[in-house]
Amino acid sequence: MSAAISVAALVSAGRHPVSGTPRACCGDAVAMALGAGLAGDALRVVHAGDDQEPALRDYLAYGAGRIEVLPMAPDRVAIPMLAKTLSSVDIILTGSKAERGAGSGLLPYLLAEELGRPVIANAIDVKLQGATPVPQVHIRQFLPKGQRRQIACPLPLVIAVHPLAPISLRYAYARRIYGAIDRHSTGYEDANAKELPSWAVEEQSRRPVRLKAPDKKAGHARLLSAIMSEAKSGVVAFEGTSVDKAQVVLNYLREHRLIDF
Amino acid sequence: MTSVKRIDPRRPYRIGPQGLRRIVLGESGAGDAGAQYRAAAMPKPLRTVISPVRWNMAVAHSLKGRLDDYAREAIAAAAILASADTGVVAVILGAFHEDAAALGADRVIVAADLDAFRFQPGREEAAVRELIGQYAPEHIFMPDNWLGDGDLGRRLMAKQATSRATQVSEIDGEHVAIAWSGGAALAVAPLPRFVLLQAGAVDSNLPFVGAGELQSVQTVADIVEASRDLGLEPTESASIALEEADFIVSAGNGVGNVATLEELARSLDAAVGASRVAVDDGKLPRSKQIGASGKTVSATTYIAVGISGAVQHLQGIKSCRHVIAINRDPGAPIVKRADLTVIGDAEELMQALITRVQQARSQSEAAGAEG
Repeated sequence: MSAAISVAALVSAGRHPVSGTPRACCGDAVAMALGAGLAGDALRVVHAGDDQEPALRDYLAYGAGRIEVLPMAPDRVAIPMLAKTLSSVDIILTGSKAERGAGSGLLPYLLAEELGRPVIANAIDVKLQGATPVPQVHIRQFLPKGQRRQIACPLPLVIAVHPLAPISLRYAYARRIYGAIDRHSTGYEDANAKELPSWAVEEQSRRPVRLKAPDKKAGHARLLSAIMSEAKSGVVAFEGTSVDKAQVVLNYLREHRLIDF
Repeated sequence: MTSVKRIDPRRPYRIGPQGLRRIVLGESGAGDAGAQYRAAAMPKPLRTVISPVRWNMAVAHSLKGRLDDYAREAIAAAAILASADTGVVAVILGAFHEDAAALGADRVIVAADLDAFRFQPGREEAAVRELIGQYAPEHIFMPDNWLGDGDLGRRLMAKQATSRATQVSEIDGEHVAIAWSGGAALAVAPLPRFVLLQAGAVDSNLPFVGAGELQSVQTVADIVEASRDLGLEPTESASIALEEADFIVSAGNGVGNVATLEELARSLDAAVGASRVAVDDGKLPRSKQIGASGKTVSATTYIAVGISGAVQHLQGIKSCRHVIAINRDPGAPIVKRADLTVIGDAEELMQALITRVQQARSQSEAAGAEG
């Protein structure tokens, strides 16, 4: 753990998806815990938004000693302002997506673009390799189907942390009470900061409708399809010895490229 | 004496979508009349015959030469939303061994060396941006998945000042909708140029085909990546969580000797699962249970050994692509679900399969050593 490397975690105000209760955004809390593992107490925890936000206290309980708040209108995060504040930080950690609003997951990418830094997404573990002349970060990346990948990246960089990163969060009520929330005095209101596209939230909750190709069938074909099922049934192998049947299975696996031998 | 009208119980019928037998009026003969219709299934028509003046683009990674449902849905969205004079160009990153026309694409561009298991965001970005510049697509569709498409899509979005939407769960010709604040409500916006689609937003069964012209593209090599890929970690399939596993061999009541099944799983490099009965009998731990009261798996390949396939179990394997059943009973419900069923004694067949797989493996290793 080198003291020369500065680490910051960006946290957002989370909301419970069902009840809407203010809470720490799960992904962001994981990113913050990962940052605490890298920098210890030197970790900067930054929130862009309202300093009266009730969800921020949860981050204090999860281990942030002090939260810096850049006053901005919620959902209108000014990326240039955020980039200016964090330009001296070597490692910027974020969650994968916000729990409130659109939750597009674009912020780490936009921030990295603004700062001209590489961005690595879906990180589940971050380690500093300080021994080399240029300090490097080794990142363990999540891939589906149980695969994991190791990536080495030079500083500075932006890391978006995967919500399934194996980190256990510890909640301490005393820290929630004694932690401090500091508001930056400078104005960060950006008149040009707009969310693209502008979303209109529907009042009534409903299920999303699946896009289906319009089927221009003649009447006869349409009626036939109503009484006939699609020919969807597999092959059944009755015949032969068990060796023949094993060969049938192997042939199937090979034909569909499910095995590589 | 009045003659009672007799109904022939074996008159022609078809099997309906619910699996019920429906009689066919006005046809003579006996048995399943639908079979002849199914056998002579009409080839699907071409989506459009006009040569394209505009393009819709879909970009996705392939996995071992195949496209997953996410990728198919992105290409289907591009095809469904294309007008008659709009072509569909699909950019496949990674090897591609599938039927391009059936996907609905008019042109498929394959960048074989940009597969998902190598981390090369700079090259991927450059290749896709060049194609976007070349085709100037009206809309770009990508799946929003963990395989690298969600990552690549967001990288491209951050670079381009264009209208965009991610995690789209509803789409049509005019608008897109996303889950707002984690799913409490939907939020709608006009259809943007760049769309990242969530799974299930589009039905990938298309009533038409595309022209399916295949092209391969050479990617620029002189791009210096900021990061260095240190490679995939070696993972042992047995240690992967069942929900994440790609290949599962599962035991049911028909398996007498679990050791054989575990050996089969080892030889195929697969994870081990179990049905509820096998778990209740103490053959395998509760953590291996697949089904309604156990785990829901999404493996590409699922081999069910001695599992009859109760509804609760089939629920757990709903999203498995290839299901292979080894069962003694040809009437078991799993036979309807399985893509391949082998009828016979589980123990005997497993032994034969282990021998055959080991033979094939050593043969391919010997061939690899020679070549």
